Amino acid sequence: MKNIMLRQIIIILLLCGLPGLTQAADLIADKSFGDDNEIIVTFSQAVDMEAAINPANYTVYEEPDPDIRLSVEAVSVADDLMSASLRFREPLNTSQPHVVAIANLSPDPEVVTTFTVAKPYIGYLLGILVSALLINNFVFTKYLGLCVFFGTSKRKDTAKGMGFTFTIVIVVSAIMSWFFYQFILKPFDLNFLQIVIFIGLVSLTVQAVDTILRKVNPDLFNAFGVYLVLVIANCVIIAVPLILADNEYNFFETFMLSLGAGGGFLLALYLMSSVRERIELANVPPTFKGVPIAFIVAGQFALAFLGFSGMQLF
Amino acid sequence: MATDKSNIQLITNGILNENPIFRLVLSMCPAVGISTTVMNGIMLGVAVLFVQVFSSVTISIFKNVIHPRIRIPTYTLTIATWVTVIDLLLAAYLPEAYGKMGIFVKLIVAFAIITMRLEMFACKESVQASFWDGIGMGLGFMFGMMAIGFVRELLGMGTLLGYDILGFQPLLFFVLHCAGFFVVGLMMAFFNYVEIIYKKTKQGA
Amino acid sequence: MKDIFTIIIRLTLACIMAGLVMGTTYIFTSNAKKHNEHVNEQKAMYGLLGYGPANQAPDSMVLHAFYRYIVSHDDLLHLGYLVPLQDKGFSFVTIDLDGNFVAARQVDITGKEAIEEEARHQAIAAVLDEEATIRYADKTIVATNDGRRQAYLLPGAFPGFKTFIHVMLALDPHFTVLGLEVMEHEEDPGLGGEIEKDYFKNQFTGKPYEVLKHLDVTKTPLPDDYRRALEADRTGMSADDVRVIQEQYKDKDIYALTGATISSRAVTNGAKAIVKKFAYRLGILDKVLAQENIAVPF
Repeated sequence: MKNIMLRQIIIILLLCGLPGLTQAADLIADKSFGDDNEIIVTFSQAVDMEAAINPANYTVYEEPDPDIRLSVEAVSVADDLMSASLRFREPLNTSQPHVVAIANLSPDPEVVTTFTVAKPYIGYLLGILVSALLINNFVFTKYLGLCVFFGTSKRKDTAKGMGFTFTIVIVVSAIMSWFFYQFILKPFDLNFLQIVIFIGLVSLTVQAVDTILRKVNPDLFNAFGVYLVLVIANCVIIAVPLILADNEYNFFETFMLSLGAGGGFLLALYLMSSVRERIELANVPPTFKGVPIAFIVAGQFALAFLGFSGMQLF
Repeated sequence: MATDKSNIQLITNGILNENPIFRLVLSMCPAVGISTTVMNGIMLGVAVLFVQVFSSVTISIFKNVIHPRIRIPTYTLTIATWVTVIDLLLAAYLPEAYGKMGIFVKLIVAFAIITMRLEMFACKESVQASFWDGIGMGLGFMFGMMAIGFVRELLGMGTLLGYDILGFQPLLFFVLHCAGFFVVGLMMAFFNYVEIIYKKTKQGA
Repeated sequence: MKDIFTIIIRLTLACIMAGLVMGTTYIFTSNAKKHNEHVNEQKAMYGLLGYGPANQAPDSMVLHAFYRYIVSHDDLLHLGYLVPLQDKGFSFVTIDLDGNFVAARQVDITGKEAIEEEARHQAIAAVLDEEATIRYADKTIVATNDGRRQAYLLPGAFPGFKTFIHVMLALDPHFTVLGLEVMEHEEDPGLGGEIEKDYFKNQFTGKPYEVLKHLDVTKTPLPDDYRRALEADRTGMSADDVRVIQEQYKDKDIYALTGATISSRAVTNGAKAIVKKFAYRLGILDKVLAQENIAVPF
């Protein structure tokens, strides 16, 4: 169920995100980073061999440093004259968008074909999601939301209930916080009110979800209602808006971060509750019974999650 | 309804019987996250003490004016206000320490311990009792943080408050973030052990 | 239902009171914050130049800051430098991407006001064409002693393992590194967080520009004698011995931190990029300033 929803969201995002990114000069059909010192350009029609193969016709720079040209060492053009590969002397910093300008390529000699090469944006978005989910899991690597984490991870059912409720509330409240931050706090220089506004929005979301759920689906409310109160005592819910304000995330990035944070919390709760259900049957020394052994287990999970650090998918 | 406990009892209650970290198991995030040194513990402890005392007193002063139906929003607003104040103060006057604590100062706003004390104590008791209770809870939190920081700094870096004590680094592991879980868990187990022994000797006597 | 008005009034009052408390604190702390940030930055700068409380900088030592902007106008990109002038005020010098002089405009701003980004922005925008937009890029501080250049201080930031690492680099007039200071970072304590320790950041000290250009990270363990020299503050090694060892390791790569190769590499590559770009740009700026007879105090 969750998987299908997730996939749909990703597809919608793909559709929204891509058209804005593929705009380029008409002559350029596609462009991407190849090896770590290579840019590959695909043309929409066959181009002039002479112009395309001459490195002097190319000007390439990183977007923030327009004055520092990257030296193109060699250009190799495919036999069908439809694509070219630019080799650079030094590895490219692919986290920055690169601007490429090609002179004398189009029939009109005045026109310089200019386009930007960047990593696919969707990969970046998924990177944020995976990072919040695993690499920077809020519970096991950022150590937030522990009170609620230890309180509700005794049973699998509780864990699932809490995790789902939390994910819904955090996505809604983070998106609202983003709007408030971008359109009220930032323009009016009210950044010092961040804490009050964000916690207020969280309370509002919790209250709204509570009321709506009670009216629309009483069964669901009976199942998840109790966790709503606990959501507000969870630091993650206030940490996410603070992080997105700090990093100046845009709307999609905000959505991904909050989804990752919620999903990560659900994952952590589920893993932990599975272990704790078994621990109850085990013979634990009396001094370690209850919370202390839960802490030790959480520490082992945290060690395991340390292994995700440095992972780079996109 | 006034509490029959004296000021001293209110303070020791916060530090020992109802220690927020080891007894009530609340506000665990900073206890694991930034308790790598004693200094961090003291700094965050001071911030929590400030917020707890000022919020308790504020609520206690206005307890008769607060409408029961908007009790929780008022608490949240009060805490958020004082957190903002301490956040601004620390950022302005102690930028280095503030940088180390990072996001945790702002997160005091979501600490269950503060809301809980307002709900259970400050909204019923006199201003004076609330003040001392706030001090006790704040100190309890601070001592908890310092104790964890003490173990982690000494075993992880061989220093205390930045001064070289052991002259070598025993186990880097204790400075890593995830070790916070182990240290807190082991310390809780230790306190449980002490309690069990204590009860046994009492029964025996 | 009749409660609703009292609730609204009381909640409004509570909000107003909270707003008053926060507003007052903000007004009082914002100036102190700016001041302290400035003082800390100055302290770090003098620290990198080897001055401290025990060893005060001479009075003839002056720090001059100039600021780089990217000006875009009608699809054309220019670089703009806000440089202080010898006699008074500032000049906004625009240079095209090929390094040719475009224009110099007198900017009405004092040195004190220029510290604030907002004030700077407004003053520059006032002298430019209306359609032109400017974007702040970075600043450079030139330390002069009796009017002669002593060092360049370059604040910069680059992505580390977790978030951005903010550093300050000090270079001598031949772009040899005088020192590196980590101003702000959020790397893991015990692992990447060690970048702020002497035995890592002091490795950059004394690296000449030619070495720095091709600097890389090596995973071999840090030799003991080098480590003692790097931690001279703690081990009490004499300055002469330190210089000898520094000379010996001058051409070597940076020894990576154990368990934090990514952070080590980030700092190395970050510092390398900052210095390379700076050296290139300073050459052009100096040429233009000399060509146009713009008298600057550095």
